Amino acid sequence: MSRVTVADAMPETCAVTTRGLSKRYDDEVALDAVDLQVPDGAVFVLLGANGAGKSTALKLLLNLERADSGVAEVFGLDTGRHGPQVRAQVGYVPERHDAGYPWMTCGRLLQHVAAYYPAWDHGYAEQLISALDVRRERRIGGLSKGDTRRLQLVLALAHRPPLLLLDEPTDGLDPIVRKRVLALLAEHLADSPTTVLITTHHIHEVESLADHVGVLRAGRLVAQMTRDALQRTVRRYRIELPDGWEPPRDLVVASPRAGRATREVQWTVVGEEREVTDRLTGSGARVREVTSLALEEAALALLPDDGAR
Amino acid sequence: MLVNLDPTDARPLYLQIMDEVRRALVVGTLRAEDPVPSVRELAAELVVNPRTVSQAYRELEREGVLYVRRGQGTFVASGARGDRGEQLALARAVAKRALLDARRNGLGVDELVMTIREVAADEDTATGPSVPALNQSENE
Repeated sequence: MSRVTVADAMPETCAVTTRGLSKRYDDEVALDAVDLQVPDGAVFVLLGANGAGKSTALKLLLNLERADSGVAEVFGLDTGRHGPQVRAQVGYVPERHDAGYPWMTCGRLLQHVAAYYPAWDHGYAEQLISALDVRRERRIGGLSKGDTRRLQLVLALAHRPPLLLLDEPTDGLDPIVRKRVLALLAEHLADSPTTVLITTHHIHEVESLADHVGVLRAGRLVAQMTRDALQRTVRRYRIELPDGWEPPRDLVVASPRAGRATREVQWTVVGEEREVTDRLTGSGARVREVTSLALEEAALALLPDDGAR
Repeated sequence: MLVNLDPTDARPLYLQIMDEVRRALVVGTLRAEDPVPSVRELAAELVVNPRTVSQAYRELEREGVLYVRRGQGTFVASGARGDRGEQLALARAVAKRALLDARRNGLGVDELVMTIREVAADEDTATGPSVPALNQSENE
């Protein structure tokens, strides 16, 4: 599928910009010439299957790994050259749940991290610790996945960084805690101006918080646009077909679902509604119904359904 | 005020919030000088970016539906109430949804309208009219 871009009025400043960012691990392409733009103040959800390159993108932004080529900038700082300055401005929830320091207690790690950030907000940290039920006396090595996530979220949020990079932040959380975390995030954004880049393969888990969506497929960023543009661009069409009908060429059909016996098909098509309708009508088909899709369905239309990365 | 967002609704979230506020005015659950939830509260409740709520409030302020009292919060303007225009806009939205559903089921407009009247009449004889009618001033 060709790259989908929608010329939405992009705001002038971006918290995160990458140009031609590429990374390989041996023979495997993790990121392939990615031009990512995360506008200031956005909640940008980077969607992709497992192994699509989402975690690699975040690690490159933090200079935890080196890009093979291309540039990554956070607040205008080249992350390859200013790693420590960039990391000081970022709250990061890593993909992995084994946060290191298995012998330390949660309380000790909190102290340790607090000392590292001058902006650490002790009062806020206390609120988060109690809201997320983090137990100070417990040893990190003995934490469950969900426990670790909650601790990692406190560590990421308590210094109120201008950028949050959250790698599958709701992974391992039960639905009730997940809801609480998302509400906490919304409050956090209301209290301190923050840009958020969230990676996930379950877009419904971050629900309505997303206002920008990017789609990574096998290391390529195949789409990035506002939530509104995505829902406008991907729609489901119920089409009545004449006998011997040929689909118009270049029609980006994400998910054909044929009802051959009834001469009616239901397709999810990528493109502006008027244009798609005109082309279908021009080809002799009759568009019976156009429906909009929930964000997740619209985003999934941009991912392959064959399980390929 | 209860605000519900429909995840399958492709309209921008800030428009959905605006419509919910207008709906609350029309049905009377929100009245002049009532406070509306803070941006922070509503954002946390709906789990949306607070900027989305701000945008909705800002638009409603521009339309004269809401106003900000410094340091106290956002309130419903005294002139704001569910007027005829808003009522009609809501009715149109309901009609569109019904039509869409009807077409999907192979029903025509006449069939739909007639059946709505029949069902409403049945319900009225069973329980008496409970919902304020929309057709108080049909001709305008």
